[in-house]
Amino acid sequence: MSNAILTVQNVIKRFSGTVALKGVDMELYPNEILALAGENGAGKSTLMKILSGIYPHGDYEGRLLLGGEPCRFQGPADSEDAGIAMIYQELNLELDLTVAENILLGRYPRTKLGLIDWKRVHTEARTALDMLGVDIDTRLTVRNLSPSLQQLVSIARALYRKPRILILDEPTSVLTEKEAGSLMDILRGLRDKGISCIYISHKLDEIFALCDRTVVFRDGEKISEHKKSDGYDSARVIEDMIGRRLDAMYPVRKASIGQEVLRVEHFRVAHPFAYGKTIIDDVSFSLHRGEILGLSGLVGAGRSELCSAIFGAMPKLCGKLYLGGKEVNITEPSQAIKLGLGFLSEDRKKNGFIWSMSIRENMTLVALRDMMKGLFVDQKKELQLAEEFFGKLRVKAPSLDTQITNLSGGNQQKVILAKWLMSETKILMLDEPTRGIDVGTKSEIYSLMQELTDMGISIIMISSEMPELLAMCDRLVVLGKGIVQREMVRGEADEVSLMRAASCT
Amino acid sequence: MASTQPRCEKKNLFKVFFDWFLRRPESGIILILLIFVTIATCVNPTFLSPRNVVNILRASGFTMISVVGMSMILVIGGLDLSIGSIFALSSIVTCISITQWGLPVPVGIVIGLAVGAVCGLLNGFLVVKTAIPPMIVTLGMQYALRGTVSVITKGVPIYPLPESFTALEPAKLAGIPLIVIIAVLIAVVGHIALSRTYFGRSVYAIGGNQEAARISGVNINRTKLLVYVLMGILVSFAGIMTASRLGSAEPSTGTGLEMKVICGAIIGGISISGGMGTMLGAALGAVFMEALTNSLTVMRISVYWQNVVFGVVMILSVLLDQYKRALIRRQSIRNTELKRSAASAGN
Repeated sequence: MSNAILTVQNVIKRFSGTVALKGVDMELYPNEILALAGENGAGKSTLMKILSGIYPHGDYEGRLLLGGEPCRFQGPADSEDAGIAMIYQELNLELDLTVAENILLGRYPRTKLGLIDWKRVHTEARTALDMLGVDIDTRLTVRNLSPSLQQLVSIARALYRKPRILILDEPTSVLTEKEAGSLMDILRGLRDKGISCIYISHKLDEIFALCDRTVVFRDGEKISEHKKSDGYDSARVIEDMIGRRLDAMYPVRKASIGQEVLRVEHFRVAHPFAYGKTIIDDVSFSLHRGEILGLSGLVGAGRSELCSAIFGAMPKLCGKLYLGGKEVNITEPSQAIKLGLGFLSEDRKKNGFIWSMSIRENMTLVALRDMMKGLFVDQKKELQLAEEFFGKLRVKAPSLDTQITNLSGGNQQKVILAKWLMSETKILMLDEPTRGIDVGTKSEIYSLMQELTDMGISIIMISSEMPELLAMCDRLVVLGKGIVQREMVRGEADEVSLMRAASCT
Repeated sequence: MASTQPRCEKKNLFKVFFDWFLRRPESGIILILLIFVTIATCVNPTFLSPRNVVNILRASGFTMISVVGMSMILVIGGLDLSIGSIFALSSIVTCISITQWGLPVPVGIVIGLAVGAVCGLLNGFLVVKTAIPPMIVTLGMQYALRGTVSVITKGVPIYPLPESFTALEPAKLAGIPLIVIIAVLIAVVGHIALSRTYFGRSVYAIGGNQEAARISGVNINRTKLLVYVLMGILVSFAGIMTASRLGSAEPSTGTGLEMKVICGAIIGGISISGGMGTMLGAALGAVFMEALTNSLTVMRISVYWQNVVFGVVMILSVLLDQYKRALIRRQSIRNTELKRSAASAGN
């Protein structure tokens, strides 16, 4: 305790209504690589945002000690000055600047005249890259580098600031296995040079290979601590991560599964951010009438991208799609809709609803084509249908003409669901349908899913919440590393096996 | 109104009407228009003389026709700066085909409208198929088309025009200038198209959230293309009618038109960032712009000041638009936060 380089004491962080961190204690020792493990929403990112100064002192309760001294960061710059460097999951490099410019960004050495000393910029950048043993031309534009080299540039940028502590958030998500391996070697080298690391990852195999100690978070609390010297027990770590949760009420799933309605063969989809990489390499699966198929996998496993590609919202590199045994080619969502597909997207604000429109207009957007009286929208029919679904889904709002932005997340989700139910959707893809929704609305959505499958509609559900997947799905397809890791039927799957398959252990 | 419904108290009914009025998206422009007319009339009572009102309405007709097209473009989230040049090009082509090629007047007009449609199509095609922002595409087109006009005319106006063409614009129906009737008809059709058809709903959806619209099956490219083509046709109609009014086709005609038209649409409640606004409000915005121009003349303010006034009005109206949007956003945030705290209190 006394020689800890960083001590977190009883840190509590509240957001309006919820507590994200419930009194966390943690230490980081010199020459140590510490892993933070936990599911989404466990509180890892919140803690890191406190350490990097994004949540300033006073925004949370508790103390941070750096080398025994209490510290009060007012912003990210303070944290950086104190020697904490953070490397984010999304690369935050200036793509059109050179490697050297990125590494020294904001700290350019000056000549006596006050101009930037470009010679020194490049030599210092070189030194930082040499620490990593990377040989990149410092004059190259970052945009032209591969994602893994970009990742290394951002690490070099962090190292240039001479940190005592390096925090990495999912650093290997854009790297290949080989690149991830060399990154780990680099981190081990840094540890031996006296830089401590906090390593956040979902991938347990990486954590077990690299980290000296693993701290498991769940629901804003530190649950347990595992040491490499004691030997890691993956089953116990997973158990600690999952724990026992208060579950929403699930309906009793009664499935009557019919013929195959959709088959995906050898889909390959490009990575949305990393140029030249694929997020889905080769995925095939099928879906039957009245079935709920769960797509499981870690964040970044490409579940949303796979569904977007099926729906035509994202281009696919190759692959065939069969609907009811017939091959179809979908390149635009409008074609998918005509073929009876529906897609409830993950990010409601980004591509779910139209903020400038009312509940009614959002609800009827898809089905509007079938509500025409000649050239005009049949307003009577529109209103009638909207009222029907407004009541059926129990949307809580003053009226149908309320702006959708005035609704809570759960009610917005109901409106978007209504949009797809109103049109004659046969196959519904739900991407995180219950994210950010209160428990009551969640169970309403589960019962609705049961009703829909009773009517012969097939559902593909993406979710990061395992209990939800296990309770609702008849079959589960686990994605990881661009391929199907495992396919499980109901009853065969449990949280441990799901987690195992997803984290590729 | 109150006397026909005696069971309602007068005060109450007024309040109901006032609330309804304020909630209409057009309330802003109507209030602005009323205040402006009052001030202008106080300064110079001849502003409201029948003769001057007809003048204002007649001038509004031309602007209104263009504003109808511009409103659709702004609502969809686009912009068209090339309309002044399309205006000139199509009137020049129409007049050349009548005077030099000896084509009948209706055929000449159709050719002019076709030129406008093609220019709009080109705008739309570039906006849809390339990643160039609409502002740059249409700014480039503004120069290219204006240059084309210079090449064709070598800077010389085309006149005299035959009687059968120049008699078109001054025509009146029941004492109302024909152009006013046509403009109002176009505005009404535009209003219905935006508010009652699938096309209109798509325009609002694309302007509000293009990605969400695409996922909901709206054909983004086709709708955008159509909107730019309509703009081209409408503005060339205004150009041809202007040539008929003036009796000649000037190479410099329509310079700066985009400013007046965009300004009219925005002050009429069309949002510069897309997704919001009504055609009715925009049409009233066109009337406001012409009333403003006219009042400067009536109040004997130097022509040189006109552009200063237009510039200021433009900035003020965009400011108003942003304030309105911020209000909607803030209101929605407050509402969700209220709901969240209520929900957590309930837990």
